[in-house]
Amino acid sequence: MGRITRRGFLKTGIAGAGLAALSPSIVSAVTPAGNEDIIFRTLGRTGLKVPVISFGVMRSDNPGLCKAAYDKGIQLFDTANGYQGGNNETMLGKLFRDYPRDSFFMATKVKPESDREGKPTDETSPDKFLEMFSTSLGRLQMDYVDILYVHDISNPEMLEYKPIINAAQKLKKEGKIKFLGFSTHRNEATVIDAAAGMDIWDVILTQYNYRLSYLDDLIAAIKKAAGAGIGIVAMKTLAGGGFLDRERTKPMNTTAAIKWVLSNPDVHTTIPGMTNFDQLDKNEKILTDITMNDQEKNDLLAAMNEPGLFCSGCRKCIAACPNNLPVPDLMRAYMYAYGYMSPSMAKSLLGDLGINNNPCSNCDTCSVDCSRSFPVKEKIADVSRLVQIPDEFLA
Amino acid sequence: MKKKFITGILLSLISLVVAAQEITFPVLEGYKKVMKYPVYTPDNLWDHINGAADGYVALGFVDLNVVEYKKGKNIIKLEIYRHSDHTMAFGIYASERSPSYRFLNLGAQGYITGGVINFFTGNFYIKIRTHSNKEKVIHAAESLAVKVAAMLGGDNEMPALLYQFPEEGKKQNEETYINESVLGHQFLNKAFKASYSVGSDEFDVFLLKFRSQAEALEAAKKYLSSADLEPIPPDNGKFVFTDGYNGTIFLAWVENEIVIISGLARDQSDIADKYISAILDKNN
Repeated sequence: MGRITRRGFLKTGIAGAGLAALSPSIVSAVTPAGNEDIIFRTLGRTGLKVPVISFGVMRSDNPGLCKAAYDKGIQLFDTANGYQGGNNETMLGKLFRDYPRDSFFMATKVKPESDREGKPTDETSPDKFLEMFSTSLGRLQMDYVDILYVHDISNPEMLEYKPIINAAQKLKKEGKIKFLGFSTHRNEATVIDAAAGMDIWDVILTQYNYRLSYLDDLIAAIKKAAGAGIGIVAMKTLAGGGFLDRERTKPMNTTAAIKWVLSNPDVHTTIPGMTNFDQLDKNEKILTDITMNDQEKNDLLAAMNEPGLFCSGCRKCIAACPNNLPVPDLMRAYMYAYGYMSPSMAKSLLGDLGINNNPCSNCDTCSVDCSRSFPVKEKIADVSRLVQIPDEFLA
Repeated sequence: MKKKFITGILLSLISLVVAAQEITFPVLEGYKKVMKYPVYTPDNLWDHINGAADGYVALGFVDLNVVEYKKGKNIIKLEIYRHSDHTMAFGIYASERSPSYRFLNLGAQGYITGGVINFFTGNFYIKIRTHSNKEKVIHAAESLAVKVAAMLGGDNEMPALLYQFPEEGKKQNEETYINESVLGHQFLNKAFKASYSVGSDEFDVFLLKFRSQAEALEAAKKYLSSADLEPIPPDNGKFVFTDGYNGTIFLAWVENEIVIISGLARDQSDIADKYISAILDKNN
């Protein structure tokens, strides 16, 4: 399925927002902390009522920021065994040991070993998985976490890998985790679709933003999973850190991007990463208002049409190119040259790819219809000139 | 477009961007090298380390080369992260170290914990990992670490600004580098941080070095005005004020350096003064 169309994009956004506003089972409740206007959604079968904004803590090393988020009504904090070598969990543990345990939700992640296709390997060990979780719990100074995600599942084989599932369910029986989930960063639609038919997973953490090239498939899979009672948490909601381009010259409307995610009623909460109080203040406003105004809609439409330099890696171009060129890699070379201002890296990559002249010179027209609307032929012709420039002229 | 292209090349020449150093993985006796990973860049690091990638990218991540050394069922995985400079490499290394690890004289600094050996040297952060508990395999991993450190070379000292922090009460091996949003403030960037435990007091000290006195003054002004303080005179100064998010803050600057202390109470200015003077006097 192709990239979401402009019409489909608007339909998803507006219709989704409408549904969210109308559905009392999705938009509900009141926080006991007194933040009466905060919008809560129920995280699937877990029954946890969570604010629509949660906190992706991975890059924050400032307990003051987490405390401020808690004070503003954010309740779900998301970390992982590997973030900052475990220091992220340690920081949260030191902070939250002074708070009532039932006043926040803690989610962490443990990644079992897998190969590059996401399949279990000889080193995928339930003992190691349990040991890592035990370390996480110790760092967090907690008796349990609310959600444990099996980290980075991209292959349905891992979804059904009994040694890890049994180990996680043992933790659930022991009360060390309340709910079991998984996170997915690649091949999301396939694994979410598969998980929807299983009675194992309570929560799914998936990347989800308006710039994904396979959005239609992902939306369908999320709908199926949410319909099956699985809680859906969205990450990577800003599609790359708050800027439309790698050069960080074009800031995006981050509020609009998150509201777009929340316009899908099947998404129950989001975990934008925050490292400063300005970001927190912006996201605080979304806690009580997820309706996109006209300006936000316009900003989002403009952003959608902004190709930037970042190739989404959908790889549909390869089959379309009569010369079978490694187009995604060539787009990466272009990004090195213009985005990073590093022509030497670009030339090095071109060398690795075996490019020694303009490989598009024999084509009058380009048959590649890039999902990011890149002018592929022009970019390749442009960057491939680098191979003619002697190394000594390149820094 | 042509103009932009040429500008790109000139800019890179002017800014002396380090040319990509090709990574040649060393030989490890008895082990076979398995090269099955691509070279990761900021646009696909997520595929390899997921959500942790954002933290690497924020610290000037350039690329990652990965190789596995295999002998029978034993695997040693080597990852070489290239960052934009020595400070950034320290930043990512320090963000993942724990003072409880056993530290090694490897590169600028390294440590070993379980089957993990991490160190940094020059603008590289190196991670070596094995799941094996066998002594022979751990020994091979250590040997690999020494070879990689020798191969990469580079600056083997800790960043120079760290030496300005006083030793008294300093928590060892807890210094960090914060590239963006010091204390959660968007207008404060690029700080070294050290944590202290003096008697019953625990506090953090941040040292920021700017390119010029004017830049330092501008940052100090922004911080003070965020706390609704009066505009300040354009010379060196010391302040204590309440940051709505971080509590009591001691702020001082001399020339192009700013020191910020958080964690002390307003009436502990004697401690703050002592540390501020020790840091700023060292370099001014």
